[in-house]
Amino acid sequence: MKRIALFFLLTVFVGQSQAQQLLQAPITPAFTPVSWERLMNAADEPENWLMYSATLDAQRHSRLDQVNTENVANLELKWAYQIPEIDRAETTPLVVDGIMFITEAPSNVVAVDAVTGRQYWRYDHELPDDLRICCGRNNRGVAILGETLYMSTLDAHLVALDARTGNLRWDVEVADYSKGYSKTAAPLIVKDLVVTGIAGGEFGIRGFIDAYHADTGELAWRTYAVAGPGDPNVSTWADDSWRTGGAATWLTGSYDPDLDLIYWGTGNPGPDWNGDVRLGDNLYSDSALALDADTGDISWWFQFTPHDVHDYDSIQIPILADIEYEGSQRKVMMWANRNAFYYTIDRNDGDFLVGQPYALQTWARGLDADGRPIRVPGMAPTYEGVVVSPSIGGGTNWFSPAYNPDTGLFYVNAFDGEQEFFKRDEDYEEGERFTGGGGQYVQPIDTYSSAIRAINPATAEIEWEFPIQPRSTAGIMSSAGGLLFSGSVDGYFYALDAENGQELWNISLGARVHAAPMTYAVDGQQFVTIAAGNVVFTFALRE
Amino acid sequence: MHWLNLLQRACLKAGLSIFIAGVGIGASPGAVAQDEGNLYNTGVDVRLGERYFQRQCSRCHGQDAKGSDETGAPDLTGSLRRASTDAGIYRILREGISGTAMLPVPADTPNPTVWQTVAYINSLRTDPANIDLPGSASQGLALYSGKGDCASCHMIGGEGGRLGPDLSFVGEDLDPDELKTALTDPSEDVAPRWWTVRVTQRDGSVVEGLRMSEDTFGLRVMDENANLWSFQKNQIDSYDREQSSSMPSYSQTLTENEIDHLVAYLFSLRKGN
Repeated sequence: MKRIALFFLLTVFVGQSQAQQLLQAPITPAFTPVSWERLMNAADEPENWLMYSATLDAQRHSRLDQVNTENVANLELKWAYQIPEIDRAETTPLVVDGIMFITEAPSNVVAVDAVTGRQYWRYDHELPDDLRICCGRNNRGVAILGETLYMSTLDAHLVALDARTGNLRWDVEVADYSKGYSKTAAPLIVKDLVVTGIAGGEFGIRGFIDAYHADTGELAWRTYAVAGPGDPNVSTWADDSWRTGGAATWLTGSYDPDLDLIYWGTGNPGPDWNGDVRLGDNLYSDSALALDADTGDISWWFQFTPHDVHDYDSIQIPILADIEYEGSQRKVMMWANRNAFYYTIDRNDGDFLVGQPYALQTWARGLDADGRPIRVPGMAPTYEGVVVSPSIGGGTNWFSPAYNPDTGLFYVNAFDGEQEFFKRDEDYEEGERFTGGGGQYVQPIDTYSSAIRAINPATAEIEWEFPIQPRSTAGIMSSAGGLLFSGSVDGYFYALDAENGQELWNISLGARVHAAPMTYAVDGQQFVTIAAGNVVFTFALRE
Repeated sequence: MHWLNLLQRACLKAGLSIFIAGVGIGASPGAVAQDEGNLYNTGVDVRLGERYFQRQCSRCHGQDAKGSDETGAPDLTGSLRRASTDAGIYRILREGISGTAMLPVPADTPNPTVWQTVAYINSLRTDPANIDLPGSASQGLALYSGKGDCASCHMIGGEGGRLGPDLSFVGEDLDPDELKTALTDPSEDVAPRWWTVRVTQRDGSVVEGLRMSEDTFGLRVMDENANLWSFQKNQIDSYDREQSSSMPSYSQTLTENEIDHLVAYLFSLRKGN
């Protein structure tokens, strides 16, 4: 099929004799197994997108440059895939040697030809009808190792699927969904382990990060994100509030093979907006955790928002890079937090290097020398309501940032908003929402604005911004073509110049972009893919 | 799940009262409300429904149930687009709305809790039968088309101007206090659809009008002659946005009594009237 389509294109554009020559090349089968070595060197095969954040350092930067600042305006639609289940698509597909794996709401996977979007197989996960989910029926992507895909499901299971057929290899229960646990994020492969977090921070769960043996599904280790008995940091939770401490780990982490450390973010303490019942810093909520890859032991932690009362989850993707900082090369982790502060952290030991606000915020005067926030009094939620920036959605949220090693800039979708925060008294009931309050906008959302901001990680200074009206909840993808791709709630998919934020190309896709772009190549042609509404769109240069 | 199963499960949790109500009624749980009315509609029920709403529904619909642009959840304080009866609201709570982000309540939620939530949602709207307005709707109608000159900007039943919101059913969405505020202080709460923008094109010409919609890359505008314009932001010189209303305040041009009459008229504008 691929060759036939190619023939027609070639006869139009390059003439019949050349087309015949190309057609004589044998059609090779798609897909080859993905070894751990391939995953470690994923940046070296930019024709594939082998994991949620592209590479283990989570930079979301592709070395493909066929589409670049000079020709991006010539992008055109190549195919669209309509997701049959109507919901909000948050997927970042993977591409392995010409096959694309797309996750769909609620917990399904489809494998399609990456050139045509036509289906090889699909897997529909059977779900109970009494799920406990806070924020929609989402799934953000799969992981792959060998010939097996790994996917989180809304009923808090982890499933392993044969990548060639979609057949179920194994299915393990990670946690009991009826108690408020669920799973939406793409797992991370580390050596022969499938590392995965848990959602449910609005249901009084106790968050954790798990590692499962990829071949059997057997649990290798579990590290709780809420300190409990045996951990001296349990003292950061008043009484036994650690039992319902939340700290969901609902996104995907990153990994440094040299340090053999896994980096993973943790979510808000529970209940979200009423901190009276959990006095203390509430470790390890709202933190970056560095875990020993073989044991899961916590090597270090950095808490962004001690005793959070605004739902400022710290589950953002940890981006790793080696940068020059104050005259020396440093292994750092870059983090634009939901609390509206940007941080550069030494990823050897968790030392705070530099940070400052990257989005509108009113809750803290700044960060002290250790990176701990200096709070503004009177900003905690009240029964009557108090207006605070950023909003509950945060300065940013789960949507992926990116880092371009060529420009040395970190890119994030930032929201300059505010909300009125409320507190209420609430008793914990297993499986029920346990949030202790909420929030609401005090003005129409069109009053506020967003921007893609480019941050210098050595200084935390904003180098440039591209304004977005009013809101973006899309991830960012960077490429060696000098481009940034992202989307917006108003339904645009667009490309910017990574050096200066200049607008280079946009297209209206007609529905909210709530996913992150990715790129790949097949037969020498670069494609760019984004999900918008319930459709996965793929673009390439006009031939 | 079949409704009988639902009913049986609910009865186990809710006790005999709902069972009796259920037996008496017929073909679906919806009929409970349709035929007998909501049995859980006392003041206490409304408060319990509000408590459940805050816990389960407010994340999308807002603490005040006025909806959220961010989540796309609709305002529940005015007329409901997908349900006009207690049974309809109940059904949506129980079953969700297919193809949208509206999920059903957990299957084991007791029936009384769902009905109490229905009662709370109903309490968010002002029932005209329960209100005694000081003004006269018929005198308000005369003011609307006469001294108030409202029809030059607003439509009712397809007749009138285009420079303000359609008022055909405004009584379902705004209560009398909100209507009064809209007349006396129209810039108090202006939806973005009625903001004004002033676009300066590259040749220096200016287009000013209502901001029909705006996004990252474009602006759609209706000028005072109802011409529709679409601008790409990278093809204009600049634009300014005014977040106040272009409607004049009637606090000086109408008397207190006249405003009461106009409020009475506007509040009477509902479907079926």
